[in-house]
Amino acid sequence: MDLLSILSIAMIFAALAVFGLRNYKLSVLTYGVQASILVLIFFTLASAHDIAELKSWAFVAILTKVLFVPYVLLRLLKKVQVESEVEPVAGFFVSPIIALGFSLAIAMSIYPIYLKFSLVQEHIPLIAAITVFMMGIFGFILRKSAIKQILAFCTFENGIHLTLALTAYNSPGIVEIGILTDAIFAVVIMSILAARFYKYFGSLDVSKASELKG
Amino acid sequence: MESLIILVLAVPFISSLVIWFIGVNTKTVNIIHIAASIVYALVALNLICSVTGGERYFAFNEFLFVDSLGGVFLSLIAVTGLLINIYSVKYMEWEVKKGHLTDKDLRIFFALSHLFIFTMTLSVLANNMAVMWAAVEATTLSSVFMVAISKGKRSTESGWKYIVICSVGLAFALYATILLYGAGFAVIGDGHDAMLWTSLMDNAKLIDADALKLIFVFALIGFGTKAGLAPTHTWLPDVHSEGPSPASAMLSAVLLKCAMLAIVRYYAIVGNSIVGFEFVQNMMIVISLVTIFIAAMFIIRQHDIKRMFAYHSVEHIGIIAFGFGIGGPLGIFAGLFHSLTHSITKALAFCVSGNIIKIYGTRDMTKMGGLIKIAPVTAILFGIAICSLVGIPLFAIFVSEFLAIKAGIVGGDYFAVALFIIGLAIIFVGVFSHFNEVMFGEAKSEVNKEKIELSANIPLMILAAMIVVLGIFSIDSVVMLFDNATKIVLGS
Repeated sequence: MDLLSILSIAMIFAALAVFGLRNYKLSVLTYGVQASILVLIFFTLASAHDIAELKSWAFVAILTKVLFVPYVLLRLLKKVQVESEVEPVAGFFVSPIIALGFSLAIAMSIYPIYLKFSLVQEHIPLIAAITVFMMGIFGFILRKSAIKQILAFCTFENGIHLTLALTAYNSPGIVEIGILTDAIFAVVIMSILAARFYKYFGSLDVSKASELKG
Repeated sequence: MESLIILVLAVPFISSLVIWFIGVNTKTVNIIHIAASIVYALVALNLICSVTGGERYFAFNEFLFVDSLGGVFLSLIAVTGLLINIYSVKYMEWEVKKGHLTDKDLRIFFALSHLFIFTMTLSVLANNMAVMWAAVEATTLSSVFMVAISKGKRSTESGWKYIVICSVGLAFALYATILLYGAGFAVIGDGHDAMLWTSLMDNAKLIDADALKLIFVFALIGFGTKAGLAPTHTWLPDVHSEGPSPASAMLSAVLLKCAMLAIVRYYAIVGNSIVGFEFVQNMMIVISLVTIFIAAMFIIRQHDIKRMFAYHSVEHIGIIAFGFGIGGPLGIFAGLFHSLTHSITKALAFCVSGNIIKIYGTRDMTKMGGLIKIAPVTAILFGIAICSLVGIPLFAIFVSEFLAIKAGIVGGDYFAVALFIIGLAIIFVGVFSHFNEVMFGEAKSEVNKEKIELSANIPLMILAAMIVVLGIFSIDSVVMLFDNATKIVLGS
């Protein structure tokens, strides 16, 4: 198995850990690891296929995903002083397994379509990209914690970024800038709202918010 | 024309910065807010007039462009947006006077509302699909604190739901954008052109069919979430009911349609490819009918006036989708025209609900009553909004709904049309029972005797006049714009 495939599989495991870890701080740090693996994938692709753009993507990702996003989330955790997550919708053990199973099944069924036009013709990384994206989506659905939902957002954002690097690394620079800017602003705004949520509801559990129904 | 495209983006962006940084007092903020809205509307209308005949103009190395289709949606931002912005001055003054908001909140609200207009304009004028996606996502980011401007549990909950559900939905849309680029690049062979909607339309027939089907599903989930299509519409009632009335009006009357335009751009590419229109029409028709029925179920049992109008937005987005589901020149024309008629009607509905809330001090319709005696002007405006919303003849929405039904019957989609009419009939009955509750009888809560100023009602009267005019007359230039927009979608 080549390095790219190993790193891609590592990304899936990192997503699983971000999803499954109960301790928020550990979960955020694991997200940082996941983002670092993404950076390594960018560098690996850049040297294997001689793509200069991906090197600049990698440096931008270090600043934004590896450093800035975890910093924002750790600050939020310090502010709200909550250490760990309450029980998720489908239990701590079951929900990551459900997410991984469904994500892999979806990835296996649609990746052949990607393969038809992908610039990098590698099976495992493409499957990993879709799996990480879908795990983020399931993470969002199956977790009730505001922090875990932000992390789920960051996870599927990483999945999208990996897909972009594999299928369309030659896309205009403005695409990369637009996507990253939106993602950064979204994380900052979500963090502000999560802190406000904690202030009013005394919890990070979004299912506690039931003022608006019907 | 390139300078006009740049100007129409620059005006709201600069206005936002000016209000944010230099808005020293409320009076100055109000003056800048109104002046900027008028300038924006004039520039946008100039641009719309130049594309009425089917012309197309590009800017920024083809990253931006304006065509008749974009012109239709730009007209919503320009006209409806201007009237809402004028109304918002008095309404927000009232919010400050009542102690719901501070002067600082007001400044932030107006600064964000211009930033919001900038992002919506960018989404409408984007030729580059990634720019369009980024602009639609930016509409969420710029409007979230317009909705959650007041402090408290309800506004925080609505703000949270808004940003997370829309961001998750739009992640699918981003995936669709990337896949479309990849599939487009495989046949176009140029990184710049493969991102442009105009080149993708030109090369639609060459793009892989399976990829396009997957792309459309992702785009429909993604932008459909933002547009308020079921089943991912759940954020909409909370957000549209919790923000200040002008914010609700802007979101419902304009923003939802910008997301709908994004779906229409994908609809056009996939429809004009070897996949064909049948695939996209079938998907749209199923999702539209589900949306209409879900909205109908909630409208019947709704007692909160703003939530009722919010569910109406869900229903009407379903009706727009139904027009595209029926397809063909008439169906697409109906869908596009419904975007306009619903936009002006819903702007009136939310603004007039602002007046009603001022009068009764509550949003609960069971505590209202006797509006026709208490505030006749507001009552008439409310009546016009309701009559149009439920599709009574001589009001604007009737025209677009009638065209959609006619298109369905001509196309032989009898079953879909029958379901569509049943859905509308349920809503008709539900809304009129609420209407009676508010309009007639005796007030069931303490009434605020403070009169609604004429200056606050003028923009609403203009909206009401537009509803009636569009319901009775066929204006040649408007029909020409919509005809040309329809041709663009059909690729002819």
